Amino acid sequence: MRLGFSGAGALASLMLVGAPAPAVAADPAPAAAAAATGVAARGVSEPQALNAHAYSLRLPKVGPLSVMAQLGGRLFHDRRLSGSGRLSCASCHDPERAYGPPGAGAVVLGGAAGHASGYRAVPSLRYLYRQPPFTIGPDTTADSDNAPVLAQQAQRSLGAPRALKSALDTQAAAANLVPQGGLFWDGRVNTLQQQADGPLFNPIEMGADPQAVLGLLQSAYGDALKALFGPTLFRSPHLALDEAMFAIARYQIESADFHPFTSKFDAWLAGRARFTPAELRGYEAFNDPARGNCAACHLDQPTRDGLPPLFTDFQYEALGVPRNAAIPANRDPTYFDLGLCGPFRTDLASQRRYCGMFLTPTLRNVATRRVFFHNGTFHSLRMVLDWYVNRDLSPARFYPRDAAGHVIAYDDLPPADRANVDTIDAPFDRHPGDAPALSSAEIGDVIAFLGTLTDGYPAFLHRSR
Amino acid sequence: MTMLRKWPAFVGLAAMTVNLAAPAYAFDFKGAHPVLTATPIKHLIVIFQENVSFDHYFGTYPHASNPAGEPKFYAAPFTPWVNNLEQDSLLTNNPNLNSANGVGATNPFRLDRTQAATADQNHNYTPEQQAEDDGRMDLFPKYTGTASTGGAGAFGTTGQVMGYYDGNTVTALWNYAQHFAMSDNAYGAGFGPSTPGAIEVVSGQTNGYQSAVGTKSAAYVADGQGGYTDIGDEDPAGDACSSTTQQMRMLGHNIGDLLNQNDISWGSFMGGFDLSLTNANGTTGCGRSSISTVTGTTADYIPHHAWFQYYASTANPTHARPASVQAIGHSNDPNGALDPANHEYDVNDFYAAVEHGNFPAVAYIKAPAYQDAHPGYSDPLDEQAFIVQLVNFLEQRPEWRETAIVINYDDSDGWYDHQYVSPTSASYSSADQLNGTAICGKGTQPDGLLGLPVNGRCGPGPRLPFMVISPYAKPNYVSHEYITQASVVRFIEDNWLHGERLGGGSSDATAGSLMDLFDFRTPFLNEPLFLDTQSGEPVDHPWPFLLSARVP
Repeated sequence: MRLGFSGAGALASLMLVGAPAPAVAADPAPAAAAAATGVAARGVSEPQALNAHAYSLRLPKVGPLSVMAQLGGRLFHDRRLSGSGRLSCASCHDPERAYGPPGAGAVVLGGAAGHASGYRAVPSLRYLYRQPPFTIGPDTTADSDNAPVLAQQAQRSLGAPRALKSALDTQAAAANLVPQGGLFWDGRVNTLQQQADGPLFNPIEMGADPQAVLGLLQSAYGDALKALFGPTLFRSPHLALDEAMFAIARYQIESADFHPFTSKFDAWLAGRARFTPAELRGYEAFNDPARGNCAACHLDQPTRDGLPPLFTDFQYEALGVPRNAAIPANRDPTYFDLGLCGPFRTDLASQRRYCGMFLTPTLRNVATRRVFFHNGTFHSLRMVLDWYVNRDLSPARFYPRDAAGHVIAYDDLPPADRANVDTIDAPFDRHPGDAPALSSAEIGDVIAFLGTLTDGYPAFLHRSR
Repeated sequence: MTMLRKWPAFVGLAAMTVNLAAPAYAFDFKGAHPVLTATPIKHLIVIFQENVSFDHYFGTYPHASNPAGEPKFYAAPFTPWVNNLEQDSLLTNNPNLNSANGVGATNPFRLDRTQAATADQNHNYTPEQQAEDDGRMDLFPKYTGTASTGGAGAFGTTGQVMGYYDGNTVTALWNYAQHFAMSDNAYGAGFGPSTPGAIEVVSGQTNGYQSAVGTKSAAYVADGQGGYTDIGDEDPAGDACSSTTQQMRMLGHNIGDLLNQNDISWGSFMGGFDLSLTNANGTTGCGRSSISTVTGTTADYIPHHAWFQYYASTANPTHARPASVQAIGHSNDPNGALDPANHEYDVNDFYAAVEHGNFPAVAYIKAPAYQDAHPGYSDPLDEQAFIVQLVNFLEQRPEWRETAIVINYDDSDGWYDHQYVSPTSASYSSADQLNGTAICGKGTQPDGLLGLPVNGRCGPGPRLPFMVISPYAKPNYVSHEYITQASVVRFIEDNWLHGERLGGGSSDATAGSLMDLFDFRTPFLNEPLFLDTQSGEPVDHPWPFLLSARVP
């Protein structure tokens, strides 16, 4: 449109010019700045029942779901997608249990007939929205023109010394050359879209048949999909399936129910709730490098960008969790679940120093779980913490003995890989005869603190899903 | 329409009325810089973005899908024909259904606004040529579709390289196209990633590469005359933020040298360049970073995008600050002392200089990385926020009536574009694969820095978006004149330097002209178009009937 082209045009110009100046606003980041300085200023040695340095954090945007996310929500709950017609995503990722496993079984049953048993415990789908891609080593530089070659990254990390992980200096750990990021217990995919693909077509999980899924997408969701991706979508079956999986992923990104940040801890961070004495003591032990040292991996500080803590550093650890006989696959004594080394991940099988490493999960909503670690060997937080502090002090309590009567520590790993287990970071740096890192009472306190990480604290009832 | 143009009295009245209402648009024909120019343009702002092919952003322009809940786009009447995917069954029977693409074989498909965060495609010199397959344009999924994923919420699929956005995602650019001018025949001067593109847009050529630290074999080819040509990314020599293991420099000259010789003010303004600042998240120095709600946190300054830092004559390796706001754009400060910044500044300095009435004649602008559109760490929505904020700002300046904004890109990211052009610049290096093994084009290679034919300059590369936002841009116009990144260099030379050329192998002399995008003869100026930084939609909707009163 040209100025003064017609009378009407001139009027329009007047209106435009007279209109309030358009927004040339700066980034809405002052809150983040305050939070960032708060991180530096506040030591963990003097926590308050009421947080004296309340944070204003950068929470994920909450708005009406996009058409894409609405579609994804319908797919997430659609049992018709599965081979048996009885399982949806929500069957194993139970919305009532923070999208974690619905029961206390180490693994869930699936497959076309519903009798096939899984290999690993179901991870929660909550708080994955910031999960970085899988890499080895420090963050890759921006605009690298080729996808990183993992073998090269692994090679580079060979000579690097392993840094000590401390709750007081999580930055040092981040710069350490270790595997980090990715989804599933072994980080074998990078996006929620790829993740959705896994259980859906795994014959022992939802056991879906791609042709049947395509048929359902076309008959039940065809119009919605075509509106988003064009009328020729179904001529490219791969694309149609990928787009449906992206819709499910987008539902997890947009729906606040997947990252509600409505725990008592979040209320405390914001200065809107007080810890009980037990919770406060637990919080101290959680952060104390000499005791729990939990925060070394389960980061509990807001990021410098003002993002709320997710209680994970996204990295991998070999902890040597006891073998779980309840997993049918473990009846075969030669079968070992080695995490990064396989069997489900296949590209790092030759990197033996990663064998036995599994992704550090978020601790948010951990108190709602009844099955812990990748093999679901423990069923309560008390059991987990007891094992954490006594693993190397009294291993006989957790591990079996061989024919000669020797305790087989870290028995869920082949002997050659047991050296990979972390024995240098507290609380794993103890030896028989040492005092446990946490007393029984302190374990109770830490459990009380972990209870504050469960979403749904009353102060946040107004925050809708 | 013609009749309306015969109402000069009314036009004068309209202009005067606007003057009274808003002194910001007062007509001051003297201009801020009393320099002679060939056109009324006294200020050129080159917004140089990252990694988008033309069809990736304009594949179905001006037709958007308009799903519920997304910013809407409806084309104005008389929107001209555009050479995009809406022809020859490209959307329904695309050559990339070629079975050689394996499971990636697919028709082009729409990327939704919720898919703004995509994976990054392969955009290296050789794979981009292989994807074009001797002009058949049918092997994109096979050669450039090898994607690396972004964050957990990123969208990625086999054949993703065939995806395109529409006006529901790149809403601002589509709206600018409706009111100003764009080209559908603009190309990267060559193939390959960011660094060659950044060097082309300031010098018109890529020959004269010299390794400075370490050896990055993917960054160059031997030119056949004893020298080297840049074909890949590598950080500039000596830059305080560069990799410590691999650095390169460029011999020869760039447009900054010519502007300096003629005492024309100019500057490079890059996000993250000012190392003395501390961002809201507490980061500072080379590590300054910003957070995108779409793609997460990324460093602001990317050394291998820093065009002028590759040349000793225009580099500011320590990122030294200008002596004052008044010194910005000039080689010397107001007291005559050599200014330490040497024309290299932060994007914040551009805003500051313009606000202080010190608007440089030529400004090359690079957004902080999270807003530069590069897939993987940036995205179209963050890009839109950056561009719209800058354009809104400039449209409110008194100098607006003598200003032109060019929006161009450094490379295609490898994204599919259907238009092939036979090489005008041949190359026979081992990296060339366009028309056969070690073959790109026909005939003699273009001259290099020393005036002898050199390898490594196969071009033009992929087709890229190219827009001109200016009171003098032809409204709702699509130019079909063949241009490249080097055409920007030529425009500066033609406008400010009496057509003086860089020489030394630069294609400034042969590059197409931007003049078809402008109309300097019709005494009607485009109105500013103010957009919303988030939605890209006009902030003050003109009445519907006014939309039809557009010059065809």
